[in-house]
Amino acid sequence: MPAFGLLLAATVTGCSSPATTSQSSETAGNVLKIGVDLPLSGADASDGIPARNGVVLAVEEANRHSLPGGFQFAVADLDDAVQGKHDPAQGAQNTKTLVADDAVLAMIGPFNSNVAQAEIPITNDAGLAQISPATTSTTLTKGDAAQRLRTSHPDVKAFFRVCATDDRQGAADAQAARKIGAKRAFVIDDDETYGKGLADVFEQQFVRLGGTVLGHEHLTSGQTDFKALLTKARALSPDVIFFGGTTSTGGGLVRKQMADAGMGAVAFLGGDGISDASFLSTAGRAADGTYFTVAAPQGDKPFIDAYQKRFDTSIGAYSANGYAAALVAIAGIDKAIAADGGKRPSRADVLRYITATKNLKTPVGDVGFDSFGDTTDPILSLFKVSDGKAVFVGLVSAGP
Amino acid sequence: MTVFFQQIINGLSLGGIYALIALGYTMVYGIIELINFAHGDVYTLGTFFSLAILAGLGVSGEVHGLQLVAVVLVTMLAAMLLCGIVGVLIERLAYRPLRNAPRLAPLITAIGMSFILENVMQLWHGPSPIPFPEVMPNPSFRFAGVDVSAKQMAVIALAVILMLALQTFIYKTKLGKAMRATAQDRDAAQLMGININTTIAVTFLIGSALAGAAGFVSGVYYGTTWFFNGFEAGLKAFTAAVLGGIGNVAGAMLGGFSIGLIEAIATQYIPQGEQWSNVVVFSVLVLVLIFRPSGLLGESLPEKV
Repeated sequence: MPAFGLLLAATVTGCSSPATTSQSSETAGNVLKIGVDLPLSGADASDGIPARNGVVLAVEEANRHSLPGGFQFAVADLDDAVQGKHDPAQGAQNTKTLVADDAVLAMIGPFNSNVAQAEIPITNDAGLAQISPATTSTTLTKGDAAQRLRTSHPDVKAFFRVCATDDRQGAADAQAARKIGAKRAFVIDDDETYGKGLADVFEQQFVRLGGTVLGHEHLTSGQTDFKALLTKARALSPDVIFFGGTTSTGGGLVRKQMADAGMGAVAFLGGDGISDASFLSTAGRAADGTYFTVAAPQGDKPFIDAYQKRFDTSIGAYSANGYAAALVAIAGIDKAIAADGGKRPSRADVLRYITATKNLKTPVGDVGFDSFGDTTDPILSLFKVSDGKAVFVGLVSAGP
Repeated sequence: MTVFFQQIINGLSLGGIYALIALGYTMVYGIIELINFAHGDVYTLGTFFSLAILAGLGVSGEVHGLQLVAVVLVTMLAAMLLCGIVGVLIERLAYRPLRNAPRLAPLITAIGMSFILENVMQLWHGPSPIPFPEVMPNPSFRFAGVDVSAKQMAVIALAVILMLALQTFIYKTKLGKAMRATAQDRDAAQLMGININTTIAVTFLIGSALAGAAGFVSGVYYGTTWFFNGFEAGLKAFTAAVLGGIGNVAGAMLGGFSIGLIEAIATQYIPQGEQWSNVVVFSVLVLVLIFRPSGLLGESLPEKV
C-alpha cells in the first residue's frame, strides 16, 4: 500500500499540466494535497507559472524525506485566468474546488489581490490555510475591509502571505524614488486593488519624505493608448513616473509610450507588478531606466541553482515566494502530523501550526507571521532595467 | 496652448486607427444591416498577419530608406489581402446562409465568429501580449512646440488616404455603384442585374482589408498586440461608426477622429481625466443620438433594427 501511494504521488507531482483534484479522500489514499491557485495562462502567466514551479520544487524536495504514516505531498494546481486575464470569479470557483477535496490541507495562492478578495471568504469558511506568494494589498489582512472578508468566522485568520504588503512596498518605493534623486513624481495606477493601494501609499510616503506629487491618475481597464495621459504628465515636468499596477494592466505600454511622448529620459518606477519578463518584452528598448521593487529579498544561490536544474530555466520574480509559501504549508502539515501521532491531520490543526510559524528559513528570508497573517520580514529588492535586463540594485528597507 | 495642440495630435492619431476600423463596421452595416461583431477581431488578425509576414521577410528590427518603404508596403498590402480573404470567408460561411433568417440569427453568428477568431489567435500566439518589431525609426518633429512623431503622421495620413480611396471607389466605380444600389434596396438591385453575392463579398473584402491595414498600423504604432486587442478597439470603432452615422463612410471617419479627440481632450482637461474619458465619449454619443438619432452624418432612414 505505501508503494502504491508513492507511485500515485509521483505521477501527480511529476505532471506539469494542471492536475485534477479528486473529490473524495478515499481515492487519495495517503496523499496530502497542497492546492495551488495562480494565473497559469494569459498575461500574468509569466509570473504565475514560475511561482507554481516554486511550489512544485518545494513539494518534490519534501517528498524525498519520508513522513510519518507514509504520507506523500502532491500539488493540485488550478488556473484562475480567463481569456488571458486573472479573474476573481474563476479564483473563487477554483477555491471551492480545492475546499471540496478533503485531501487538500493547505492552499497556495492567489497572485492578484482582487482575486484574493473573492477567495478569502471561502477559505475562511472552510478553515483552510491559504498562503499567498504575491498579493500585497493591505486591505486583505488589515482594517475593516479585511474584517468584512472574514464572513463566516470573523475571528479566524486563515489567510497568510510571504511577501511584504503594499504599505511596506509603497514605502520602499518612496525610499527608492528618493534614492534615485527624484523630487517631482507623477502617479499613475490601474484602479485595481493592488495598483491603487500601492500608488496611494507611495504618494503618501513620497510626500512625507519631502517629495512633490504632481498628479495622480487612474487607468481604465482595456485601454492601450496612454499618449494623452503622458502628454498631460509631461507638461508638469516630473522626474519620475510612479506606476501602481501590473504589466497586464498597462505597465509595459505606459513605459513604451513614454518614449514616444518624449519622456524616455524620465525614470519609471513601479512595484513587483512590473517585475516580469512580459514587461521587458512589451516595453522593448524603452524599458531601460525602469526601476521596480520586488517584495522578496533576492539572491539565494542554492535555491536559484536547484530551480534551474529542475525546470531548465532561470527563476521568475516569484519562484522563491512560491517556494517559500509551500515551505510554510509543508512545515505546518509536518508539525500537525507529528502532533497527531502520524495520523492524517485536520485542516484546523494545520491552520493552527501555520499561524504559529516563526523564523522559518526560506530563500526569501526568515518567514514568520504577525497578528494579521503578514510576514514579519520587511525587506524588498530594488531592480533597475538596463540594456533590456533587470539588474539587482540593492535591498530597500520598508521601515516599520 | 501647446499642450492643447499636442493633445489634438494624440487624439487624431488614436482616432485614425478607430476610423479605419469603423469604416468596416459601417460598410457592412450599410449593405446588409448586420453589426459584424467579428470585425474587431479581424483587426487583431491584421496585427497577427503582419507579425507573420514580417517574420517571413526576416525583419526583426529597424529598416531604413527604400527598404523601409518596401517592407511597409509589402507587409501592409499582404495583411490587407489576408484579412480581406478572411472577411469574405466569414461572410460566405457565417452570414450568407443566414441572409434571409431573422435578424437576430446573423448577429449571434457574428458573436460566435468573434469568439472563434479570438480563440484561434490565442492558440496561434498564446494568451500573452506579443511585442511587435520596431520596423520604422520614430523621429519627432517639432512644430511651434508641438511634437509630432513620424508614426503619428503616418497613421493620420494613411487613415485619410484610405478613406479618400474608399470614397472614390464607392462613388466613381461601377462596383461602388452596385454597392450603393444593394445598400438602398437589395431586391431591386438584383432585378436590375446586379450580382448581390459578389457585391456583398466585395464589401466584406474591402471592409476587412481596411481592418487589416488598421491592424498593421496599430502594430507598428503601439509596438505590441495580443489576441484580445480587438475587443476594446472594436467597441470604440463601433461607437465611432454609430456617432458618425452608421452606414455612412465619411461619418465613420468623422466619428473615429471625434472619439480620438474627445478622449485626448477629456484626459487633459478633466481632473482624473484618464478615468473619465470613456464616460465623456459615451455621454457625447448619447447626446448626439438624442438630437440626431441617425448620427452626425447619417441620413434619416426608416427604422432598421
